[in-house]
Amino acid sequence: MNIKYLLIILLIASQSIFASEKQIDPKEVQKNLRCLVCQGQSISDSNSDFAQTIKMVVDDLINEGLTEEEIYSFMSDKYGEWIVFKPQLNIQNSLLWILPYMALILGGFFIIKLFNKKNKIAK
Amino acid sequence: MISNFGNLLLFASIVLSLSIIYLSNKNLKLNGNQITKHIFQLSLIQSTTVIICFFTLIAAFIVSDFSLITVYQNSHSMKPIFYKITGTWGNHEGSLMLWVIILSIFSFLFLIYNKNHPKKFRLLTLIIQNILIIGFLFFILLNSNPFSPLSPIPKEGLGLNPILQDPALAIHPPLLYIGFVGSSIYFSAAIASLISNYSEKNFASSIKNWILISWSFQTLGILVGSIWAYYELGWGGFWFWDPVENASLLPWFAMTALFHSIIVFEKRNLFYFWVIILCLMTFILSVTGTFLVRSGILNSVHTFASDPTRGIYILSFLSLMIFGSVFLLFKKYKTENYNLNQNSKETFVLVNNWFMMFYLVTVLLGTIYPIFTDALSQNKISVGPPFYNAIIFPVVVIFLIFMSIGPNASWIKNKFDNIKLYFSILLGAILINLMIILFFKNFSILSNFIIISALFLILSSIKDFVVSKKKNNLDLGRIISHGSFGFLVLFIGLNYIFSIEKDYNMKIGEIKKFDNYSIEFKNLELKDFTNYQAVVGEFEIFNGKDRNILKPEIRIYSNPKTLTYEASIKTSFIKDHYLTMSNIDRSDYYNIKFQEKPLMIWIWLSVIMVVIGGLLRFFKNAKNS
Repeated sequence: MNIKYLLIILLIASQSIFASEKQIDPKEVQKNLRCLVCQGQSISDSNSDFAQTIKMVVDDLINEGLTEEEIYSFMSDKYGEWIVFKPQLNIQNSLLWILPYMALILGGFFIIKLFNKKNKIAK
Repeated sequence: MISNFGNLLLFASIVLSLSIIYLSNKNLKLNGNQITKHIFQLSLIQSTTVIICFFTLIAAFIVSDFSLITVYQNSHSMKPIFYKITGTWGNHEGSLMLWVIILSIFSFLFLIYNKNHPKKFRLLTLIIQNILIIGFLFFILLNSNPFSPLSPIPKEGLGLNPILQDPALAIHPPLLYIGFVGSSIYFSAAIASLISNYSEKNFASSIKNWILISWSFQTLGILVGSIWAYYELGWGGFWFWDPVENASLLPWFAMTALFHSIIVFEKRNLFYFWVIILCLMTFILSVTGTFLVRSGILNSVHTFASDPTRGIYILSFLSLMIFGSVFLLFKKYKTENYNLNQNSKETFVLVNNWFMMFYLVTVLLGTIYPIFTDALSQNKISVGPPFYNAIIFPVVVIFLIFMSIGPNASWIKNKFDNIKLYFSILLGAILINLMIILFFKNFSILSNFIIISALFLILSSIKDFVVSKKKNNLDLGRIISHGSFGFLVLFIGLNYIFSIEKDYNMKIGEIKKFDNYSIEFKNLELKDFTNYQAVVGEFEIFNGKDRNILKPEIRIYSNPKTLTYEASIKTSFIKDHYLTMSNIDRSDYYNIKFQEKPLMIWIWLSVIMVVIGGLLRFFKNAKNS
């Protein structure tokens, strides 16, 4: 059997698995939203009026069939990016997401360079 | 009166520091390896003066002397005596006094415990340390004087924020400060070592115990802070990647990297400049953390004292330290010869440092990035738990594997003859993980990888214990620390996966059911206490086997007038039940949040064990030297 078919079957199978998991947990969403009137609390952790309202809005949005990402962008359009705990992937935040990995890769290169240096000395 | 006395002592401390610097400088020019007795005496007197100064402040808090602004703003005559005392360091001014105490005590102890090191190195360390002390004393005098008088004298104080009136928070600052202010001593020693060209292995032995001590206290401080956040802030978590928490974690990464690489430096005389950079970095990060927290530049749950003018002073001080260290480093930097084998203990330590730097960069970036976006584009962003979880956790898996294998590599050149054994350990870890999945029916790829790697580390540590016990070269400190770190990650992972959280609006008499649990709202009482009133709810949790009564509270403190929500927690060895209750305006319903948090107590215990490992190493070092 051609490996291509196997891959396609696997792909379809994995999609159906992910599709069944699509149900969004409102708790997860609430945890990733900041309570704007509190000090450093998430919507899920707060009981302020603001948090109560947002909780209801989140439930409504889930019922309307929005995905998690869509809910976050809805919220940040309305209240500013400050409300979302997960910084969005855009140009402004690109350094934030990339630099840690850059540091990891550079560190690795640096260590490898140390060995090469040593090899030269040995020669 | 107290105000004058306190100020006098602060002045005296500055004069003492100046005289120590002057005398040390004079002593440096003399021949011989002897340090004059006067310097020891002055250093002792200085520590004593600072301590008396601090006790004076404590006394002012005890007798509620509201002629001092600090006491007026942070105390109240009706407050229990214990919190009057701990309130001394629960505020910005008082906590700075604690800084200076630790700076000067460490300075004195370092002087007397390092008699077999060159005079020049010891005196220079003392001088640098005293420059730091003077810097902080001026900060206290000019900007944050705890002895500033207030007139007319108010009859009553404003009181301490009730969520700070807590035993864990009473010991949290001193522990944490011993950690990151303690790192000042190896900052000073590193600079002294650069200036005096004291770059031999012996330099390592002069600072390694100070690193271990500050690291142990730093870890304990972070732990106590987390425990406090867990039971006091009422959201059931213990770590939120909040800027203030991050500020305490940054020096911790640097310290952890440092006390690993210093082992290599001591054994093989490698990485001298890297060790120096880490020494400088640790204290600089500690001051950076203080700057971020105290200047109010960041928004956080824990910000208890922020004021922009303080920020400017700390920032200038910080810049001076950074430029000074960088300048000195460049001036003294020589390329070192590395005779490094790819497969050796040295390499594994480097790998540890590599990961530590990665964590450090990630957390630092996440903490300060919002400041930049705010300044550059007026666009405030939040960097919260999802960011750190996404970036850090996948890397933890690899880190834990290295952490298991690394310690057994031998120096210089290592042969891996026990790959088979590691393979079977890995297999064991996967099997245990499989049982967890089957038994609890929960699965997510990343968390299972984390659990497998944590189990791998635990099993390897147990294997190391057995093997090295047979060979009679047991390094108990390391095995306990590494193994417990594995347990820590394991318990955090399990806790994260198997936590249950339910939210209800209930009124008295109602019962809510889910799965096989039932929660009954039985009763509501109003109680009076000395400094607050409380609405106490009574709930019965029944999960098919045992019944627990939980009593969450809503407290109304009078001075200052604040509302706090007290979680009710039932701890057992397997799980915690955690319940909070809050009122809903204009209704008889209460909002109830019930959480089941598995293995909480084991998370705390693992951290304590990690620290015990560190302390064991400390005592072993102390015995050997």
